This record gives sequence, structure tokens and C-alpha cells, in this order.
Amino acid sequence: MKNVGNANYVQIDYEIQTHENEGTTILPSPEAYRRFKWTKEYFNEKPKEGYFIWARKSSDRPLITRISISSKNVSQNPANLVVIEKDVKARIYSICNAVKKDLCGNHVGSSKIILKENSRLVMNHFHRWGKEDRVNSGLEIFLGNGSEISDVYKCLEVPMRLNMENNIYLEEGSSANLVMTILAKHGEVKMHDSTFLNGRGSRGISRIRMIGDEKSRIVAHSRMIANDAGTGHVDCMGLLLAEDSSINAIPELVNNNKDASLTHEASVGKISEEVLNYLRSRGLTEDQAIDLVVAGFLGEEDPIVIEGQVIPLKSYM
Amino acid sequence: MLEIDNLSVKVDEKNILKKINMEIKDGETHALLGPNASGKSTLVYTMMGFPNYKVTGGKIVFNGKDITDLPIEERTKLGIASAFQHPPSIKGLKLSKLLEKIGRRTIDTEKFSVGTDLLEREVNVNFSGGERKLSEIIQVIALNPNFVIFDELGAGLDVENLEKLSSLIKSELYDKSILLITHRGRILKFLKPNIAHVIIDGEIVCSSEDWKKTWETIRRYGYEKCRECELRSDRL
Repeated sequence: MKNVGNANYVQIDYEIQTHENEGTTILPSPEAYRRFKWTKEYFNEKPKEGYFIWARKSSDRPLITRISISSKNVSQNPANLVVIEKDVKARIYSICNAVKKDLCGNHVGSSKIILKENSRLVMNHFHRWGKEDRVNSGLEIFLGNGSEISDVYKCLEVPMRLNMENNIYLEEGSSANLVMTILAKHGEVKMHDSTFLNGRGSRGISRIRMIGDEKSRIVAHSRMIANDAGTGHVDCMGLLLAEDSSINAIPELVNNNKDASLTHEASVGKISEEVLNYLRSRGLTEDQAIDLVVAGFLGEEDPIVIEGQVIPLKSYM
Repeated sequence: MLEIDNLSVKVDEKNILKKINMEIKDGETHALLGPNASGKSTLVYTMMGFPNYKVTGGKIVFNGKDITDLPIEERTKLGIASAFQHPPSIKGLKLSKLLEKIGRRTIDTEKFSVGTDLLEREVNVNFSGGERKLSEIIQVIALNPNFVIFDELGAGLDVENLEKLSSLIKSELYDKSILLITHRGRILKFLKPNIAHVIIDGEIVCSSEDWKKTWETIRRYGYEKCRECELRSDRL
């Protein structure tokens, strides 16, 4: 198996390859489960596949994981565990995809991220699936005191069915900034994320960007729960591009502490005529104007840079 | 350059513009003065071809071509551009990206005193009044047009900013034909129009080469005076 772009963990169908960075242990999860007894408290059960990343030293070099489906009727069940030690800074690019559109794959992934005291993680997930795939993913993030995470999830080609559940738990002085971007076309997406502000001074932001194109249905339920004096913001924005698409955005604020402050904003609609006419007055056709608004809505891609070299995302897909 | 011939316009079944006539020649600057709700912005949107503005009579001719029924983007491609008074906010779209997409001319951001901060912000999202005007002017300059409409350029700007933007227009669009739409007229002394028109209730009631006298009359007596003042004899 060719290791493209020095990815640290590559799983294609069931075949696995790992490559360690200095100061970071990277193993298939079953091996980590065997070698490190302490991991048992984090894995819900004995893992069958998936990656284990244990960052003990800060590094400028990003870690890259890739889990791909490349054959028909593959069923993957990765259980991933990421542990960032105290005061360590890390960056991870996590890619999951089907290399063809008609593989009828099944991907059931669960990930757990542990950030110890004052650690920092920038995590970018890029997902791309085939029209007949089924995907279920669960993500849990535990933030220790003073730790920070920026977690960006982007899926611009959704499977037939995508279910996601994210739970984020914040301790004192920690912060989480989550951005989830979905472009759904010919697919059904259900997203459910909950951010628990469990420590004083914790800060949570959850932003969801959804685009509903032809024959798509998106339900996004985003909750911010304050159990201590933290601040939280939920932001759900949806753009409908087709008559046969629908978006159900449900922001929810639960405040159990009088010193906490929670806010939300939400909007779902089509691109306004006013915006389209304005862009047309700049010489763009209506289709060009729609493309530009959609591209802006989806946000720019953070390029993968390894030792100063920019590596196109598509080389991992 | 641009000729408006007996133009009548309806918006939501209501007649707004009534038999408007105007001719703007190459390199000329005209001002259109009028009170609120007199039809000034309706004329802007009609000239730009916005679909809700229905032409019920007359025509607009640009460089000899009848553009009355031309789509918005086709008019822009012919060389017509407008800096709007109330441009919409576009979440997610950075001003730099928009300029990259529409630009027919490179913008020297240092010369234009445009901070990278403004360029990297989403178009019109939380822009101050001055930033909004600057963004509109930069976009117009980037389009490299032959004819430009400035809708209420002076609104919400202090004198210093107005002067700054006016000198930007003078240096970058010095040979273009310009139509200044204004309610308060402060911009006139900076851009000194060749002809000032006054519009009231959708009708042009006065057109004069003496913009100073026109503005002085309005300033002293209000727009209603324009209906019967002596400058009417100066109408072109």
C-alpha cells in the first residue's frame, strides 16, 4: 500500500499502515488497547480497527489520518482515540472517504479526543462519501482545565445516510470552537451535537453551516448546556438551493447556572434575490453568483502544510 | 453615452417614475437631487436592470444600444456600474474574493487606503458607513466601467471621509461619465457636476447647468420651491 503524503495512519478498506512523528505514538487502536492498559478506560469496548494517537510533545508537523473505503460492500468500524498530553500543542487532519461513488460501503466510526490540562488541538475533518454509502459517526471530546480545541468538520459529498453525534465536555477555563459544514445532495443527514460547559470560565462555540441541494434533508440539533459559569454560543445557518431539499435547524440552550451566558442565532432560507441581483450588478451571471455565495458559505479550506510544503487535500482522497 | 428617453417605471403596481428624460455625455458628471421617496433610487435600480422595476414606457440607450430589457449583468459588461446606498450583507463571502472574481482592473490597496482587514472581512457584514462606501467604490473601480452611478455617496459620512472618497473618485474615474444621486447635496462641491437635475414625485422638474444656484435654492427653500422657481427657465 502506497503511503500518500506521509499520512500517519492509513486504512484502506481493512489494510492499515502507520507512520510515527517524533514525540507522538501512532498505532492501530487494537494494538494500543493491548499495549497500554490505561487506554481501556477510554475505549468503550475492545476496538477492532481505527487509530490511536498519543501526543506527548508539541510539534509543528501536523498528523494526518486517512480511512478510506475502496472496494464494494466494505463495512468499517473504526474506534479512534486521541490523547494530547498536558501543555502539548498538536494539529490533526482526519480524512474519511469512499474513493468511488458506488461502493455501497458502511462506515461506523467512533472517536474520543482527550485534551489534558492546557493542551491545544486543531483538528480538521474532511469527509467525502459515495451516494450509496451509509455513515454513522460519534465524537466525544473531553477538555481538561485550560485546554483548547478548534474542531472543523467538512463534508461536501454526503452519503445516502449520515448520522453524527458529537458530545463535548469542557472543564474550567477550557474552550471549544466547533465548525461543522455540510453540503447535502441526494442524501439524508442527521446531526446532533451537545456542548457541556462543566467548568467555570469555559467557553463553547458551535457553528453549523448547512447547504441543502437536490433531494436532500438535513436535521441539525445543536445544544449548549451550561452546568457552570461559562459562556456558550450556538449558530446554525442553512441555505436551501433546491425546491426538493429541506433543513431543520434546532438550536437549544440549557442554562443550569445563573452566572452562565448562552446565546444563539439561526437562519434557514434560500439566497436572497437582493444578494443575487447585487452580485449580478458586478457582472456575474446568476449561476456564478450562486456559486460564489455557496463557496463563501462553505468557507475556505485550510491547506495541509508539511514542512512548508502545501499538499492538496485531493491527494489523500 | 447614456440617454434616458421618456422613461416611466412601475414598482409593485405603483407608478414611480413618470416620463424621465436625461442625456449624459462622455465624461460628464450629472447630479440628480430630490427629497426622500422622490424616485431617485428607483431610477438607479431601473438603470441597472433590477427585475422588480418594470419599465412601462420609454427607453434607456447606452452607447447607441437600447438596454431597456437587458439583464443586469449584461449592462455591467457594457460598462455600467453602480455604488449602491444600501448594499446587502453577504455572509461568508470575503471582499477580497469578490474583487478577485469581478475585477477587470487590479486594485492598488495601498493607494486606496484599504486595509487588509477590510478586504478579509465578509462583504458588508458589520461594515461602518465609511467602510461600506469604500467597498462600493473599490468594487466599481475594479469593474473598470465607462458610466458610474453613485447612490447617496455622502450619506452617513463625515466631511473628511467624503473628501477622501471624492478624491479617490476624481483620480480613478476622472474620464468616466457619472451620475450622482443625492438628497443632501454635500457631495456636489467635491465633484462639481456639469448639470444638476431635480426630481420630485417621480418627475424631473428642473435641469440646470448652474448646480450651485440649484442647490442654494433647495437649501434655502426646500425642494418644493423647485416646482416653480425661476431656474425653471434655465431648464435644458
